[in-house]
Amino acid sequence: MQRMFMRRTGLAVLLMLAATALTFALVSAAPGNVAALIAERAAGPGADGPMIARIAEELGLNDPLPVRYLRWLGAALTGDFGISLRTGKPMSEEFATRIPKTLALLAGGGVLALLLSLVMGLAGAVSNGGVLDRLLHGVALVGASTPNFFVAAMLTIVFSVMLGWVPTFGVAGFTSWLLPWITIALFPGSVLSRVVRVNLQEAMSRPFATTGFAKGLTRRAVLFREALPNILIPYMTTFGAQFTLMMIGAIVVERVFGLNGIGAFFIEAIRFRDFIGMQAVLLLFVVFFVSVNLIVDIAAMLADPRLRRPRRA
Amino acid sequence: MSTPVYAVENLVIDLYTPTVSVRAVDGASFHVSPGETLAIVGESGSGKTVMTLGPLGLMPEGVAVDLRGTARADGRDILTLSPAELSALRGGFFGVIFQDPMSALNPMLKIGPQLARQAQLYAGLSPEAARKEGVSLLARSGIPDPEDRYDRYPHELSGGMLQRAMIALALAARPRVLIADEPTTALDATVQAQILALIRTIQKEDGIAVVLITHDIGAVSVLADRVIVLYAGQIAEEGSAIDVLTAPVHPYTRGLLASVPDFRSESATGTKEIPGIPPNQAQLMPGCRFADRCDRVLPACHSHRPRLQTIATGEVPHRVACPVVIAAEGIATHD
Repeated sequence: MQRMFMRRTGLAVLLMLAATALTFALVSAAPGNVAALIAERAAGPGADGPMIARIAEELGLNDPLPVRYLRWLGAALTGDFGISLRTGKPMSEEFATRIPKTLALLAGGGVLALLLSLVMGLAGAVSNGGVLDRLLHGVALVGASTPNFFVAAMLTIVFSVMLGWVPTFGVAGFTSWLLPWITIALFPGSVLSRVVRVNLQEAMSRPFATTGFAKGLTRRAVLFREALPNILIPYMTTFGAQFTLMMIGAIVVERVFGLNGIGAFFIEAIRFRDFIGMQAVLLLFVVFFVSVNLIVDIAAMLADPRLRRPRRA
Repeated sequence: MSTPVYAVENLVIDLYTPTVSVRAVDGASFHVSPGETLAIVGESGSGKTVMTLGPLGLMPEGVAVDLRGTARADGRDILTLSPAELSALRGGFFGVIFQDPMSALNPMLKIGPQLARQAQLYAGLSPEAARKEGVSLLARSGIPDPEDRYDRYPHELSGGMLQRAMIALALAARPRVLIADEPTTALDATVQAQILALIRTIQKEDGIAVVLITHDIGAVSVLADRVIVLYAGQIAEEGSAIDVLTAPVHPYTRGLLASVPDFRSESATGTKEIPGIPPNQAQLMPGCRFADRCDRVLPACHSHRPRLQTIATGEVPHRVACPVVIAAEGIATHD
């Protein structure tokens, strides 16, 4: 078990290195010239060839790619992610103000997706082929196939413009988070509700469920006491995958709802060809993806008694 | 003979899935009394499990079931009970042991609580008293160090120990009828004998009725007082264990007994298999269902369905559904 943890953690670190190296190479290969951009910012249209060449030399942009990657990585490990070409502020400062907003969006959305999927999945399983079951299946299908920018627009029209219950834009107290949370939770909540429903159905056809019925438990009791613990592991792994996908959703949702988080920053960084900003955010994404998956893997191992307490031969 | 605690009469069970319908049980009757063991014998798919557990509502999810006939538990008609009443009856009146204890216990839950909850529910015990009861049930089922095993997960125990735990679970609510659905099929041969001995001990001590569903003739000879031989949902032969095992009449029973290896003989030459495969119960022909595989078959067998005829009266009548053998061997009938 402990060796397994060490192995997984080691693999996760290797994966982060490989992924950051790849993104670094890709960003470097993208069209555009960092030195030219900096020169342009400093001297306006008057920036000329020699000036650009000097900047490139000073910043070490002429060094081979591996050298540049290692230099960047070394700095990043000490908390220096460079200075954003767009805002002119250190990326560490941008992170400090923006990460909390993105985390609030993801945490709220994650909790909402969890509640939504459990309530929908369990209600469907209780109904078991009834009207509610089929209705929830339909809702999940729609929820999993509607793009989030459309959901965001519809929610804003109804709840902000028509009803005036919540602000349309920006962060102003708890209510301003409601629509972003709903928007970002709808897709994972819908997908996960099917995971709950389908795995419950599978568990209900297993022999231990029959034992539950033979013990005199009602169907609902078998569902909640016997079947529900058995969906824990598939649910956790799918939840992890969906939670990381929410980070991608955040890019659109933050922009639509005017939340100045990491996602909104990333879009701006791409638009302004802010290579430094892009690179820093991509590093953050990689760390987020790999860590969430690592945590979910370990949690799933701890949740399974067969892995937690292996039988001694 | 005492009054039956579980009695089923003229039971017809049709199973429907979205694609096929099957007559799994076709007009079968059986009963079992306190302190008695009834063995229901037949090959896989003969309907022995459906016949015994179907009236209790223990059918896999997704299969629609149509039951006709009567089924009584302690004289009470159970086919007309509401789902809640049937649930209560399953937990209290009937105890069930299944074939594979590895999958019949919940892999995510500790063993003790799985059976203690039973004791808690049906005896109204406090959690502490339920734990004590659970431990003593495990001890009674012959599980060594029951305090420790109580907090183990199913994967931490051997198949034999798990089946003992399963028996403890089935007995937790002090049932009047114990239904053992192939309780030894998934176990090692040495463990099989121990489990059968345990069932017999508990039955003697508690005076409960046991229905043993099996295709293991050895288990039948160890435990059974009476035997019902089921073929394709119909009773082929029934009687006392001694009559059926030592003087079988129906060609299927004879075939079944001849297919059991005799350990006294050096070779397997004494063993005979029954040729062919059981009929597809989704599309049954009129007449005797065993006709296609029978070595005594006559043309009439394919068109006339044989009824059970009594060939020996007494405390346990010996009844056979094969007019061909009865006539050919000059066996007297009594009805």
